[in-house]
Amino acid sequence: MPKIPAILIQLFIFLSLAPFFSGLVSKIKNNIRMRKGQSVFQPYFNLAKLFNKNEVISENASWIFRIAPFVVFSSSLTAALLIPLFFVSGPMNGFADFLALIFILGLGRFFLALAALDTGSSFGGMGSSREMFISGLAEPVLCLVVFSLGMEFGSTNIAAFNGLHAATVSSVIAAIALFLAAIAETSRIPVDNQETHLELTMVHEAMVLEYSGKRLAFMEMASYIKQMIWFSLIVQIIFPSALPDSLFLPEVGMWVLWYLAKMSVLVFIVAVVEISVAKMRLFRVADFLGFAFTLAIISSVCAILGV
Amino acid sequence: MINFNLLFDPLSLFFIFVICLVSVPSAIYSLGYLRGHYRGAKITLAWTLLVIFVLSMLFVVTAENLLFFLISWEIMSLVSYFLVIFDAKQEKSTTAGAVYIVMTHAGTAFLIAAFLLLYRYAHSFDILAIKQACLIMPQQDKNILFFLFLVGFGTKAGIVPLHIWLPMAHPQAPSHISSIMSGVMIKTAIYGMIRFIIFLLGANSSWWGILIIILAVISCLAGIIYALMEQDIKKLLAYSSVENIGVILLGVGLGVLFFSMQMPYLAIFSLIAGLYHLVNHAIFKGLLFLAAGSVYRACGTRNMEKLGGLIKNMPQTAFCFLLGSMAISALPPLNGFVSEWLILQAFFLGAISFSGGVRLFLVISAAMLALAAGLAAACFVKAFGITFLALPRSRSAAEAKEAPLSMRIGMFFLAITAVVFGLFAAPIMRLLAKVAGSAMNMDVSAMKFSLNNFTLCPQAGNNIYLGIPLLAVVIIALSVLSFIGYMIFNRRKPLLNKVWDCGYYKVDARNEYTATAFSKPFRIAFGFFLMPYRKSQKIRESFYHVKTFAYETHTTMVFRKYIYDPGLALIFKAAKNMRRLQPGSIHLYLAYIFITVLLLVVFMSKF
Amino acid sequence: MQPLIIFGILAATYLMVVAKRTPALIRSFRYQSFCLFLATLFMAIKEGHPELYIVSGLLFVLKVSAIPYFLLRMIKKIQANEDLGLLVNTQLSLIWALGFTYLSWVFSAHLLGQVNQTQTIIMAVSFFIVLSGMFLMIFRMTALAQIIGVLVMENGLFLLASAVSGGMPFLVEIAIFFDVFVSVVIMGVFVYRINKLFTHIDVNKLSRLRG
Repeated sequence: MPKIPAILIQLFIFLSLAPFFSGLVSKIKNNIRMRKGQSVFQPYFNLAKLFNKNEVISENASWIFRIAPFVVFSSSLTAALLIPLFFVSGPMNGFADFLALIFILGLGRFFLALAALDTGSSFGGMGSSREMFISGLAEPVLCLVVFSLGMEFGSTNIAAFNGLHAATVSSVIAAIALFLAAIAETSRIPVDNQETHLELTMVHEAMVLEYSGKRLAFMEMASYIKQMIWFSLIVQIIFPSALPDSLFLPEVGMWVLWYLAKMSVLVFIVAVVEISVAKMRLFRVADFLGFAFTLAIISSVCAILGV
Repeated sequence: MINFNLLFDPLSLFFIFVICLVSVPSAIYSLGYLRGHYRGAKITLAWTLLVIFVLSMLFVVTAENLLFFLISWEIMSLVSYFLVIFDAKQEKSTTAGAVYIVMTHAGTAFLIAAFLLLYRYAHSFDILAIKQACLIMPQQDKNILFFLFLVGFGTKAGIVPLHIWLPMAHPQAPSHISSIMSGVMIKTAIYGMIRFIIFLLGANSSWWGILIIILAVISCLAGIIYALMEQDIKKLLAYSSVENIGVILLGVGLGVLFFSMQMPYLAIFSLIAGLYHLVNHAIFKGLLFLAAGSVYRACGTRNMEKLGGLIKNMPQTAFCFLLGSMAISALPPLNGFVSEWLILQAFFLGAISFSGGVRLFLVISAAMLALAAGLAAACFVKAFGITFLALPRSRSAAEAKEAPLSMRIGMFFLAITAVVFGLFAAPIMRLLAKVAGSAMNMDVSAMKFSLNNFTLCPQAGNNIYLGIPLLAVVIIALSVLSFIGYMIFNRRKPLLNKVWDCGYYKVDARNEYTATAFSKPFRIAFGFFLMPYRKSQKIRESFYHVKTFAYETHTTMVFRKYIYDPGLALIFKAAKNMRRLQPGSIHLYLAYIFITVLLLVVFMSKF
Repeated sequence: MQPLIIFGILAATYLMVVAKRTPALIRSFRYQSFCLFLATLFMAIKEGHPELYIVSGLLFVLKVSAIPYFLLRMIKKIQANEDLGLLVNTQLSLIWALGFTYLSWVFSAHLLGQVNQTQTIIMAVSFFIVLSGMFLMIFRMTALAQIIGVLVMENGLFLLASAVSGGMPFLVEIAIFFDVFVSVVIMGVFVYRINKLFTHIDVNKLSRLRG
């Protein structure tokens, strides 16, 4: 049985830290662009603003549009409960593994795509179509990454990825493939642009275009949490560090610092990637994800060879 | 020679359960479906055929004698043919029926050849007696038999490239029959495969399992890619059946592979995964077909491009279709998720237990399964979203009415079953272990299968857990909590207003996204396989003023164009050449007769 | 006496094969049936069964008198061209007939051996008659030739049965005779109708039954 305090602590950590990393990405991007940019805590202010705003809902929408934000939010949170952040195994570790995580996020995506179609605007339809296309092509990459990591550690349990070990060739390549897939999943350039609202270029933004007010806050929060999930997994795979077994404060504090440091490095890399390349044409995303797939195959071959 | 004994071992009982699970709601559904659209005599005919159909399927899965099996198989095919052409007024029905009956009989021919070969060894038509004889059969004959069974049952199951009848026959049949055909009839072919390949032949060559897995992967991908391109709801569901048969065969193929490599625990586990997906698919595909049928009844069309907005007029049908779509897209906590997860775990178990190149093969097959699952989710977002959401795209969709009570009862029964089979996965796995054990002649009382705390491999010591009830509870609790949080802080109700229209003054149903547009990225990404082509026609008043522009886009039917049409052309050419034997001269015909008689008389003495 | 009869049968069969006009064909058929009648009569006298007398009587009545007369009358009635269209000319037909004789001799020798000479010879002759009936049906163009071909084959079978096994059962013989008579009548009607419709009875021109 999961421990309720552990669940609550994990939820609190995710809810509080997730917008911070998104704000950090935009801050770094703006600094590279030689601008001061918005504050790192701007996403928090945005969420607070959205919570105070009133909502407008399309007349064509049905109950799916109304409940979708909650389903998406809860699926992201459920997936977040699986990630080992502070404990050797995530508090929900007894109840799902890495493969299940992919499907749980899929639940959120399904409802998001349906809600986008529900409003009757073409933007939503476009967003759904593109999002399902991109995520459909990203799934084999994720599955292969899971398998190659699992073959090294003997199980698809996320906790198994956490033993102190040296990063092997296969796990590094798997992490790179996972990084590319995470770019696709979290809607970052070069797959999708979060700062635009042009119909030619938006994917995730198109799906949440009709949302406003509190529901939009839930959707945004869900995407921040998803991003944090993927980034945490990547850093834990590439730079594994020992998790604290007990609530001994200096250990915990050390781990927190390590974690923030690793995440900052990754966030910096993401920001640099976002700045350096342009957004790809949608049909070239297939090639991009195909490249990630090839990397994932290479990593499984390395895992098979034992490298 | 022939006796009508019935064999009730766990495998047969399981299939009887699956047949009844889908047939009963479909029968209840047909009460409302047939009434008011057919005359009384035709309804009686439909009921008679339905009863004979279900009985024949029950006999197929319990027959102990090969001849009895064959008779029931033939009756099943014939009766389903009559049901496919039930609406014989439409030309598509008769074409579909013709293709269906020819292909299913071609498959049955292979089965008959295999049965005769078995008889030659065992001198008996009884399954249990043949099982004894198969222990001493040489390997080449087993390979020939395996191939004959694979083709024979594969035609009925719908393995690519023998699947072309499926998307023609299933849409044309009345919806309750489509649900039984897609949910159960093609599963009897899987029953045949398990019974004859695993139970009888013993499955001791590893290349058998690998061949089944390769065919299954191809079926998965081809099926779902074609499903994405379809506008007709029932044809989409039929192609999706092809994909799911591929998934089931992945589990069965893995079972054969592990069994041939002497890994009993893994073999049973893979077969459990395959059988679990079999029953899950029966449930949710039956549900989807019933819901599609009620949409067809209400709107008169199956074309998604003319539907839309049905969630407001037909909320219960929409809910059932949504549940079926969620189940088929493998979303937690429903049943499709459990069985796909189990199959992926079976692949993973194989990848860590084997050594060598087989591991890479298994890993890549698993990735293809994940791709198919992702594409299936896309396909059903399209199917549900375009059909039920947003604005209606035609008058008939705007005026649709909810389905009558009997139809709703059938659908809800299956919907509840889908949820139950998802939540109670652990006890179901224990039951399926017994079924798989009887199919593979292994004692499973010592093996522990549960979703909590089962050891993947005794050496690794890492445990995997999947607690579906808890997962469901967490997801639902979190969403309810967030909704409550929303309600607490909500001071004003949301305003209803028009959708964002970019400043256009008239935004109506024509501005919505269409099904063809939804699947365009897939059409382009998989263009190497689909080979889309377009036809456009412009009618101009002058060079600058185009009055009408007609645009059609098609995908090439690859299997028809490159395999079946050349084959048929060859047959017709040979037949035309044979016509030269009959030029019309009576004298020549008389000469044929006499020469034949003479030859017989003369050469009789040689025998 | 017997070799003479057999010689008569053989000669009549050769005459049939080389006949160029229908009345000639029918006449040779008559000779053949007559010789057959003689052979049956002698067998009846030798063995003394009353059934054989009846059979030979029927043979005389039907095959020697009635059927040829009926056919000749038919020809006059339809005023058809009496030419029996030959697909294979006379000389070649004769060579074919000689070939058939040799073949049937070889075959019956193979079957029965050299033990019982008479039986072997009669069996060979009957096979030859059957083959020549077949020849008539295939290589002669008019419909009447086909009718006569059937009758000739029936003759041959009758001879075979009576030589090898002492005749077929009495009832069967009666039935066969009746059957032959009726079929000739029917075929005659048919030929009349064919002539009415097509104004010829050249079967070679009727070639719509094609694949």
